[in-house]
Amino acid sequence: MTVESVLFYAFAGLSLLSALAMVGFVRNVVAGAMSLVVTMISLAGIYVLLEAHLVAVIQIMVYAGAILVLFLFVIMLLNLRSDDFGPVRPWQGVLKVVGAAVALGIFVVLLGVLPDTLPEVAELPEGFGGFRVIGVSLFTDYVVPVEVAGFLLLAAIVGAVILAKRSID
Amino acid sequence: MNPSALQFHVLGPVAFVSIGSLAVLLGEVFLSRKVDPGDKEVAEARIGSLLAAISTVSLLLAIYAAGFAFFHGTSAAFNPGNPMLSLDPLSSFAMMLVGVGALLSVWLSITYLPALHINHGEYYALLLLATAGMFVMISSVNMIAVFMGLELMSIPIYALAGFNRGNLRSNESGLKYFIIGTFASAILLYGMALLYGATGHTDFAGIRAAFDPSSPLAVAGLVLVVVGFAFKISSVPFHQWTPDVYEGAPTSVTAFMSVTVKTSAFVILLRFLTLALPEVGDDLNAVFWVLAALSMVVGNFMAIIQTNVKRLLAYSSIAHAGYLLVGFVAGTEEARAAVLFYLMIYMFMNLGAFGVVVALAQGGRESDRIDDFAGLAQRRPGLAALMTLFMLALAGIPGTAGFMGKFYIFSAAVQAGYIWLAILGVLTSVVSVYYYLRVPVAMYMSDDTEEEPAEASSSELVVLGLCALAVIYFGLFPNHDPLFDALRLLDLAGTAIAQVP
Repeated sequence: MTVESVLFYAFAGLSLLSALAMVGFVRNVVAGAMSLVVTMISLAGIYVLLEAHLVAVIQIMVYAGAILVLFLFVIMLLNLRSDDFGPVRPWQGVLKVVGAAVALGIFVVLLGVLPDTLPEVAELPEGFGGFRVIGVSLFTDYVVPVEVAGFLLLAAIVGAVILAKRSID
Repeated sequence: MNPSALQFHVLGPVAFVSIGSLAVLLGEVFLSRKVDPGDKEVAEARIGSLLAAISTVSLLLAIYAAGFAFFHGTSAAFNPGNPMLSLDPLSSFAMMLVGVGALLSVWLSITYLPALHINHGEYYALLLLATAGMFVMISSVNMIAVFMGLELMSIPIYALAGFNRGNLRSNESGLKYFIIGTFASAILLYGMALLYGATGHTDFAGIRAAFDPSSPLAVAGLVLVVVGFAFKISSVPFHQWTPDVYEGAPTSVTAFMSVTVKTSAFVILLRFLTLALPEVGDDLNAVFWVLAALSMVVGNFMAIIQTNVKRLLAYSSIAHAGYLLVGFVAGTEEARAAVLFYLMIYMFMNLGAFGVVVALAQGGRESDRIDDFAGLAQRRPGLAALMTLFMLALAGIPGTAGFMGKFYIFSAAVQAGYIWLAILGVLTSVVSVYYYLRVPVAMYMSDDTEEEPAEASSSELVVLGLCALAVIYFGLFPNHDPLFDALRLLDLAGTAIAQVP
């Protein structure tokens, strides 16, 4: 086993465990959010192993940083305590088991068929995953989606302001 | 990328509409700076009409650009080296459709927004941004562009659905559409990611070359993509959001989204299936067969028990998604042309029906219960006659365009050997006659209960008149045009389909 595969299994296991913990901590939302941070950071580790350095940095800055901080703000603003959720109903346990069984089933099926069907991994081009290559590619081949994303953000801002502003005059 | 090889005219329609949205946003800021608080109402109405005029100009330019490309048979991609957007007969035809739908919705809004006291300029900006998103989605030949277009279409519409902020139903509509729509987008994106994982490509041509029907990963991705689009066209069993969203949203928004979102989603599905995956048609046919049958049955039967016209039209739009899916199942070139033809007819019928509901709104509230229509024929005979026409057309009564639309779709299905599906379609349309006719029955055969309704404004009358003209004219001459000899709709739709590369 190479160093890469050891690291991969460590990050993958960590992200799985913390994702499970996040779902398990339904009654303590802050702990759930913190487990989500661990998932995000382990995913960033996996991205580094895949040579996607820029994506890994963005993953930590945007997801583990900005978005999770936003989550925590909202959680603290709402000030949820465990008794806000009401009693546990029996069917919730049943749903959990059913959901877990379905997820496990899909996992097993995919495990059985995936290794033979994935396409060959190509040789990495020079500078793969770096700022320069991604930047050039974004503003040449993918310039249309980038511009559309600009308008998308504008639409989201205008929509949020019009829906959330206290009073419109 | 070679800059001189870029085909900027491909971006024409999208650019006109998105620049128009920026002009509306800036225009509102500059125009409302000098408003005197004393005559705020008047100033707001004037600003609203000005912004509607800006939107009209930009939409007309976009329709002209798309029409120019269509009638000149343009077929070009923005960046031929790595095509994202393609302006070809199918996309320019669909852009004209969506552009006209958006234009008529803008005209419906001019007096409707003040009547509901929600006359804010952002309305027109969001509407134009959504239209730009539809244009992007319609013309994309790459999964990334499809997704960006879909989001640029959806996010402004979430905000528009909740635009009537003081109204709880509108809040519910916006929130519900947002949550369910985001969920659908996530499913679609997951499907795209799986397709990318299985084939290594995001462009349709690459997916087509590398698609392997025996790979479970690719099939799972394909199914998730179809599910994501099925949400957007509100086909059963992904339809639960439709009635609540359609009922709660301001009626002009409902009119806009019911026709344009459906058109865009159907066109991109058509393009994706013909361009990327023509070989797996047979397996997908079974899926579409079930979706079509369920949509027709559930949509038509649930509509029977509705007491609100907007909810009734929501279930009717689910049923119409079913009729359109019949054309997908048939899968021949004639059937696809019939789908485009039907989308066009559906736009006029549906905008007309919602337009009548829009025209009845006044004093901050809507008149959208069937009871509100009672005795309308005595108070407003013109509106009642128009509503009757649109209801007959939606039901598919011969002599209206609705009949011709259904006729072409079902006959294509029969020719392709899907006789049972066609029979189911005809039977459920018979059921639909019952609930569509409930509105005319209320208007003509029950007594007046309501106070005097508002006068319909001239812009609303223009929209209703255009829709009524189209419904009658294309009902009589669907493919033979004695007046202009250019509006051979079925031939045009056939051209749009045939030239998809």
